[in-house]
Amino acid sequence: MNMDHTTVTSGVTQTDKRRRRTTELMIAAAGILLSLLLIVVGRTYGDYFYVASYVVLQFVLLATAWNVLGGYSGYVNFGSAGFFAVGCYTTILLGKLFDAPLAVCVPAAGIVAGLIGLGTGYLSLRLRGVFFSIATLALAVMLQTLIVNWSYVGGARGVYVLRPDTSGPFDSYVQLLAIVMCLMATAAVIVAVVVERSWIGFGLAALRDDETAAEAAGVPSLRLKLIATTLSGFLMGVAGAPFPYYITYVDPASAFSLAIAINTIAMPLIGGTATWWGPVVGALLLGITQQVLTVTISSAANLLIVGVLLVIFVAVAPNGIVGLVRKFRESRR
Amino acid sequence: MSKNDFTINRREALAGIATAALTAGSIVPASAQTQQPIRIGMGMAMTGGLAALGKSALLGMQIWKDDLNARGGLLGRKVEFVTYDDQSSPAVVPGIYSKLIDIDKVDLVVSGYATNQIAAAMPTIMQKKRLFMTLFGLAANDQFKYDRYFQMQPNGPDARMEFSRGYIETAMAMNPKPKTIALVGADAEFPNIALDGARENAKKAGLKIVYDKMYPPNTIDFGTIVRSIKATEAELVFVASYPPDSAGMVRAAREVGLKSRMFGGGMIGLQSAALKTQLGPLLNGVVGYDLYVPEPTLKFPGIEEFLKKYQAEAAKQGVDPLGFYIAPFAYAEMQVLEQAIVAVGSLDEAKLAQHIHKASFDTVAGTIKFQERGEWAEPRVLLVQYQGVTGNDVEQFKQTGRQVILHPPKYKSGDIKAPFGD
Repeated sequence: MNMDHTTVTSGVTQTDKRRRRTTELMIAAAGILLSLLLIVVGRTYGDYFYVASYVVLQFVLLATAWNVLGGYSGYVNFGSAGFFAVGCYTTILLGKLFDAPLAVCVPAAGIVAGLIGLGTGYLSLRLRGVFFSIATLALAVMLQTLIVNWSYVGGARGVYVLRPDTSGPFDSYVQLLAIVMCLMATAAVIVAVVVERSWIGFGLAALRDDETAAEAAGVPSLRLKLIATTLSGFLMGVAGAPFPYYITYVDPASAFSLAIAINTIAMPLIGGTATWWGPVVGALLLGITQQVLTVTISSAANLLIVGVLLVIFVAVAPNGIVGLVRKFRESRR
Repeated sequence: MSKNDFTINRREALAGIATAALTAGSIVPASAQTQQPIRIGMGMAMTGGLAALGKSALLGMQIWKDDLNARGGLLGRKVEFVTYDDQSSPAVVPGIYSKLIDIDKVDLVVSGYATNQIAAAMPTIMQKKRLFMTLFGLAANDQFKYDRYFQMQPNGPDARMEFSRGYIETAMAMNPKPKTIALVGADAEFPNIALDGARENAKKAGLKIVYDKMYPPNTIDFGTIVRSIKATEAELVFVASYPPDSAGMVRAAREVGLKSRMFGGGMIGLQSAALKTQLGPLLNGVVGYDLYVPEPTLKFPGIEEFLKKYQAEAAKQGVDPLGFYIAPFAYAEMQVLEQAIVAVGSLDEAKLAQHIHKASFDTVAGTIKFQERGEWAEPRVLLVQYQGVTGNDVEQFKQTGRQVILHPPKYKSGDIKAPFGD
């Protein structure tokens, strides 16, 4: 059995805390460095670089968000497109009501999606395994039905969202979107590290291994799961918030897209769900591959490739790239 | 097999994926731009829900390109297309147009099909100040008001009203004048817009709306809807629908034995060979909007030659064998671009846009002039009625008299047969 699966919920040692802080600092530095790199490299390659980076980073954020619940606690969420769309439509609603800027829409989208995550947790966490997964799928369908019938936010017809004028140090709005997404993805990964290496992560890992045993040992299962659903929902909502400005015309089919639902699950599974870096690697690998395929093979084979990779990894490397790397290290010892 | 063997296999698998990704990365076309030929870039739906019409449109454009290159090209240069599959997904469109402009450095860009794809490309196009010829966008520039945008569906300046104008005017010309109308449609983008216009046109004509409901887009049973419409005894039934529900509504109307004086109107899908042949004689009496039908009143120069080439090629490629709906407009779109480039004598997009705003263009889809938002200055949405359809053979739809034009009067090719149920 994987070591992470057997980690006990005992207190976090000072060494653990130091290690965690170092990792957090390294991720923050990497995020800032990547943002700067985006600015420099983007100037050479043009807006295409920002557009492609935005999509890949959006998937880093979504995969990390999914992993906080699905990876650490083992509760598989099939409704990620629903949470993403909630973020997206919060931006649209706030834009229509108050002409709210992106800086307001992002946290607001996170809060709304987080609250929906909390509500879902309360209602459905009595369900385990596949039953919980079906409930999350139903949630996404319910949310989509709500949006389709809410004409103020565009309803089934969809809605146009005009990008604000570019201001400040940014050359174009898509550059700003890419950098915002980079910073948000960095923050999400830091959140994942904090969760993973704190009592929350240890508790969730215990629940994933054997929920009944964990509860018997005193792990506060409901509280932990609610923290995970809320955090995961918050991060997915945040990921959806800038999407209307990226795409400029949003209809329910785009916001509740199958590609988002599938990629969000496939990326952590391919990268590996046990650690914070599994989803990041999975999202980078699949996201970049898909971006390259869109403009080379150029067809809907994208999702097929995700499916094939998923089947290969489930069959050959059930613990994802993380598992492969660990096995490789062990074999060299 | 030993454990070690497995490890090597996994490594190999991983290395294979990585190599594939890297190889794929390395075959991205280089950014180098040669002087010749002129490269026109686009994203087009080649897979997914919009692929049938996307492929038909692309074939129309390719025929233009081949015709043009056979004549020696444009400004002495051959023309080439750089196309990417937008997978019928607006989400990939910003990436495609950024790549076309920044990396492929194409000379000109045109849109894919349809409204959502156009809207998703607009910010990139506007930021780069590119000329944008677009295909079948429904009021897509109303919000952006971009002055280098030109749209090829003949909706005219007020698209909302056009999909029902012909229907209501034809109905009100009947004797005796109808008094009641039922409005029904899918709860989705196009039907919403078409029904908004129908409501307004009906009120203006003094018609009493006795039924006004929308059904969810994924509805499959239309029998109950048609029965409740039948119970209202509405004289006119205006339907705004997408292809699957267009077929469902026609079948349900026949099964239930609807006896309204007119039935149809804003039904998407009936224009394609697939639905025409699927429904066959069930279509008799149905009225619907259309953009081109092979009637003697719509003989634009070059259209027949174009359709001959199209239909020969379509049979090989397995795309819509008739090619009446989108293909002539895709060809005409490129003709507008060609004529503008010849007139301006360069690829200067500011000058091209100015010229397209001012000039009028003779194309296989008729003479076209654009208004300030880039829509056709004069709408030309046709109202046709299916008459004398027998069996499910596709060839009959290439003949005159099967899709009779009732409206606008300028192109009228026959009289309405009413009531619908007879």
